[in-house]
Amino acid sequence: MTDAPLVRVRALARTYVIGGVPVAALAGVDLDVAAGSFTAVTGASGSGKSTLLNLLGGLDTPSAGTIEVDGALVSGLDREALARYRRSVVGMIFQSFNLVPSRTALENVELPLVFAGVDKKERKRRAAEFLDRVGLGGRTGHRPAELSGGEQQRVAVARALINGPRILLADEPTGNLDSRTAREIVGLLDGLNRERRLTVVMVSHEESLVREFARRIVRLRDGRIVDGGDAA
Amino acid sequence: MRPADAVDFALASLRQRRLRTFLTASGVMIGIGALVSMISFGKGLQKNVTRAFEASDLFTTVTVLPGGAEKPGGDPDGKPRAKAPGRADALLDDAAVAALARLPGVAMAYPDVSFPALVGLGDRREFRLVQVVPAAAVNSSALRIRWGRAYGSDDENGVVVNRTVLRQLGETEPAAAVGRTIRITTVSIDLARLATLNLASIFSGASSPVSQETAEFPIVGVTEVMAFGGEGGLAESAVMIPPGPAGRIKRLPFSSVWDLFRIRDGRIGYSAATVRLASLRDLDRVRSKVQDLGFGTFALADQLEEVTRAFRFMDMALAAVGMIAIVVAALGIVNTMIMSILERYREIGVMKAVGASDGDIKRIFFFESGAIGLAGGAAGCVLGWATSLLINRLIDLYLSRQGMPHVAYFSFPAWIFLGAVAFAVLVSLASGIYPARRAARVDPVVALRHD
Repeated sequence: MTDAPLVRVRALARTYVIGGVPVAALAGVDLDVAAGSFTAVTGASGSGKSTLLNLLGGLDTPSAGTIEVDGALVSGLDREALARYRRSVVGMIFQSFNLVPSRTALENVELPLVFAGVDKKERKRRAAEFLDRVGLGGRTGHRPAELSGGEQQRVAVARALINGPRILLADEPTGNLDSRTAREIVGLLDGLNRERRLTVVMVSHEESLVREFARRIVRLRDGRIVDGGDAA
Repeated sequence: MRPADAVDFALASLRQRRLRTFLTASGVMIGIGALVSMISFGKGLQKNVTRAFEASDLFTTVTVLPGGAEKPGGDPDGKPRAKAPGRADALLDDAAVAALARLPGVAMAYPDVSFPALVGLGDRREFRLVQVVPAAAVNSSALRIRWGRAYGSDDENGVVVNRTVLRQLGETEPAAAVGRTIRITTVSIDLARLATLNLASIFSGASSPVSQETAEFPIVGVTEVMAFGGEGGLAESAVMIPPGPAGRIKRLPFSSVWDLFRIRDGRIGYSAATVRLASLRDLDRVRSKVQDLGFGTFALADQLEEVTRAFRFMDMALAAVGMIAIVVAALGIVNTMIMSILERYREIGVMKAVGASDGDIKRIFFFESGAIGLAGGAAGCVLGWATSLLINRLIDLYLSRQGMPHVAYFSFPAWIFLGAVAFAVLVSLASGIYPARRAARVDPVVALRHD
């Protein structure tokens, strides 16, 4: 890798205080993610996978260490700047889809554009286009409860992509799906990665999917990378 | 996030929880309704009283009092107390009244003369004070003669009565009373006979020096009874008679034993005189001139400031009652908004994950409570207005049976509604501050894990 990595993580640590006792969820992680790569992060429950992803996604702030994305320091941003980062640099999808149940597929997809201050008409147009892209062009008016798990996750993917992010972060995106649908969803992410050079970081413990699609596998145990990391 | 979108989001969330939104807004509605009707009642009262005073020329009336000690407050026909008492030797006689009438700025001056009499109409009789009022005063705009007319001169043989005394005398149709004959029975003492008698024979009733005399007068006019006592003293006596015929009625030269204390050089003088000003602007000038003549004065205009202060105090008291309801409504909003945060905890996390800033979340919740306030405030105005109309209607219904005219007891200047809605929104926004902040501080990591 000669190019500067898109994401550069150094000595990243996140400690939670639970019942007065500090618990290290991440204890010094160094990781580089190249632009256009498809990285899988695996590990047992509690190994720190989701914590790492939340930190990369700007949902959480580290206790120590640094995160740089595209040369800009993300760790240490204030709340307002973090919100801007979340709506313009990263897109996230989750195991439980995290769609707003009272809103239609189209309204869920346009949500990031609302907070970006995009005009309503333009929002609708782009949201419809992205839904079409994930194969849900005919289901714009459906609410999440009227969609299957796979369809809901597709809506979530469309929502994560609508702001044109540099990185797509996927936190156990197949955890709530049957194996066939799970393959479809990861296949969708794979396609985006290959065709659009979208950088994907996916947390998953489904070994078969990880081995089939990820170009790189990072293993975490007890908050440290035990395999596939970038030792500084 | 655009403000219009924040409003959209707020309204969508309120629509989703219709019943709770309705109930919370109802709390605001009741609070604002109470406030609106309370304040409009206070304003209505103030308007009615002020209008009645203005219509009755009370503000341009100065009561002139003779010098000397004042009568005790318990006196039945007690005159108002003068601000500055006059000289002890100042006698308020015809010459003095004539001098008052000549003062610049004085439109009219006449002595306040009244005497107790038994007033009869048909077979009914009532004790009343009959007031001697010159034709000029009866013809002034202060008195609302709705049936018949005022007597034309000071010598005309006719009286003006008010509607209340007519009803007490059994005549419910004021129009029919015009032209009927009223009997005025007075008491006089034969002083010559008094000198030859002893007390025992007086009280035994044998050859009493006290005699009664009845005079008859046609009713020429009937005055309307104004709410809030707006006739301003003139028609309180219920029967008004011109000076000419009044002088021919045999009666005691005083109406109260207190009058006897005012005797100077064998003359009693009047217990008070009324001075009408040409304009309120002349008040100070006329008053100081009257005081120079040695008389005490009393002007209601002086009391206006106190009355205004009393009204302001009453407004505050009424508003305080309404405020209690508003405080309860505000607590309801806080409660609703916090409930809403707990229910939408995950949704808040999602919005943050896709890029909502703390400010965006704050705005959404802020607009939500503001919308509750706006809806509740607007509905509260309608409720307050409708309730006031209903109460007014019921009071009218009751009073019309007693022959009282319609009165608008509530006053609704536009500022009451605008102020009430603005106040409701303000209170709601204030109630939304804490919940909005709390929503903005939601940790997205925790919220996204929340079920």
